[in-house]
Amino acid sequence: MSAHRVRAITRRLLQGFRRDRRTLALLFVAPIVILSLLGYLIRGSSTAPEVGLANEDSGPIGGLVADSLHQSSHIKTTDISAADGDAKLKDGSIVAYIVLPADFTQQVGQGNIAPEVHLEGSQPGEDAPVLQALQQSMISIAGRGNIHFAPKVDYLYGGPEYDTLDYFGAAFVGLIVFFLVFVITIVSFLNERSQGTLERLMASPLRRGEIVLGYMLGFTVIALVQAVEVLVFALAVLRIQNHGNVFLIFGMEALMVIAAVNLGIFLSMFARSEFQAVQFIPLVIVPQFLLSGILFPVSSEPQALQYVSNVLPLTYAVNGMRDIMVKGADLTWPSLQLDLAVVAAFGILLIAAGTATLRRRLG
Amino acid sequence: MSESFAVEIDGVSKSFGAFKALNGVSVRVRQGEIYGLLGPNGAGKTTLIRLVCGLLEAHAGAVTVLGQRMPNVGVLRHIGYMTQQAALYPAISVEENVRFFAAINGAEEGVKEALELVQLWERRGSVVATLSGGMRQRCSLACALVHRPELLLLDEPTVGIDPQLRVQFWEYFRRLAAGGTTLIVSSHVMDEADRCQRLGLIQYGRLLAEGTPAEIRAQGGSQNLEAAFLALAGRTES
Ligand SMILES: Nc1ncnc2c1ncn2[C@@H]1O[C@H](COP(=O)(O)OP(=O)(O)OP(=O)(O)O)[C@@H](O)[C@H]1O
Ligand SMILES: [Mg+2]
Repeated sequence: MSAHRVRAITRRLLQGFRRDRRTLALLFVAPIVILSLLGYLIRGSSTAPEVGLANEDSGPIGGLVADSLHQSSHIKTTDISAADGDAKLKDGSIVAYIVLPADFTQQVGQGNIAPEVHLEGSQPGEDAPVLQALQQSMISIAGRGNIHFAPKVDYLYGGPEYDTLDYFGAAFVGLIVFFLVFVITIVSFLNERSQGTLERLMASPLRRGEIVLGYMLGFTVIALVQAVEVLVFALAVLRIQNHGNVFLIFGMEALMVIAAVNLGIFLSMFARSEFQAVQFIPLVIVPQFLLSGILFPVSSEPQALQYVSNVLPLTYAVNGMRDIMVKGADLTWPSLQLDLAVVAAFGILLIAAGTATLRRRLG
Repeated sequence: MSESFAVEIDGVSKSFGAFKALNGVSVRVRQGEIYGLLGPNGAGKTTLIRLVCGLLEAHAGAVTVLGQRMPNVGVLRHIGYMTQQAALYPAISVEENVRFFAAINGAEEGVKEALELVQLWERRGSVVATLSGGMRQRCSLACALVHRPELLLLDEPTVGIDPQLRVQFWEYFRRLAAGGTTLIVSSHVMDEADRCQRLGLIQYGRLLAEGTPAEIRAQGGSQNLEAAFLALAGRTES
């Protein structure tokens, strides 16, 4: 292993990026665009869905519920008649309507609260704001009977100030670096094959390990710069909560980069063209994205998928990033030790696999 | 053995699947010799060169380079290989390319000389993707010889090179050979073949004939090398 030759590979790689404006844009602009979009999507004020309300109650309680629904921030109500409801659902002017039937007050007297909810039903999650608003209005009329509903909520980690972006962002910071580095590695390595330079490298005194290491260092440099950018943006602009040590976040990201580079080198052996290589991207990215726990907690997955999640390295990376940023984990935490160890082990495995298969396609 | 052979190819066969690209080829190249590999497309010239630098492994026979049985990583620093298609990094400059190949061979002091030889010193700052085809070929040659190898493998080095520069290249090849460098050059061009000290004619993976240009003329029964070559090639087909 010669440091001089490894450095030559790294330098050449970085020289190539210096003039490649598009790739630089992909590396340094894309993550900011994606993160901004994500931030706006989650935090930007959304408009409350239009909901029709038909109060047909002959007693007094229907009116109280209707007042409370009108004031709800979850939905925007307009009074309609129950007979018009279905037509309005069809023409799309409302997404749901609530009917408080004529015997509503009477029913409540018998301990039976039964408002009718009619949903349009073609979009996921439409019912949530309607039911939330209804529940709150029920609680508010219960309050008139001198019952107070005020659960005391205590958080071990996170807190009421945490929103979706805080949980998502922590994992996303690591994920975005992993995927972009994977993509540029698989494409650069394939270029090396198709433009014939790999053949030249193989006919030179370079060892396979030196090629892999040179690539790894080059991409790690780029990825860490990218990681700084993403992290600064996430913490300073998006104000994602972070309770952990920034250097630990970097440590985890560096391990993910090593895994990503070597995964790229390894998979480039199985692609014969850039076109094929691009097809590996969804194959590698989508399942990991769905199963790594970034969107759905692993513990809520069906058992069979949990087994899959538990062997995917990204699951540990995502978990580790959340541990650091949300829980403020440090190196003394066994769970973080496990996460770091698994990601590192996966990196080492891929280094071996990438190095071993480097020669194959020439023979 | 009193003579020192830089390259000894001994009864080598190489197949790709069921296809026999080389079939029992034996070639010996002396140190300081310019050996020309001639043969039609698909004859097996590139395959033979790849075997010499250890990129491919023979199924039968042995390849010995500078006294070492190939494949052998230790010998590679003494070999310069110019691939048939100019294999360069398109996104970096001419000088960066040459410097890179110099660095991986531990010989960065030769960069300027190599660039001057191929007359690209003035264009050293140009990005390779912006060069003409012939310039790329020249840059590729500079990358192959920047570390002053003892054995230069040149796979059709003068394709796309203009006649003036071609003459200069051959003068330089001669000088290298006189200085003890061994060259194996593949070519289709007959006047280039004439400049080699010895020629090997390959067809269908077999060595048809071998000898100095004069010997090949005699064997083919023609004063014209091309006619001799065609005569020799035609003889085995029947
Ligand atoms: N990697 C490979 N896989 C399969 N077949 C191959 C491979 N490399 C070479 N061949 C076959 O071996 C034969 C010899 O190829 P080679 O490249 O050595 O020819 P060549 O003499 O260099 O021809 P040219 O003058 O066109 O460069 C050809 O028929 C080619 O198709
Ligand atoms: Mg060829």
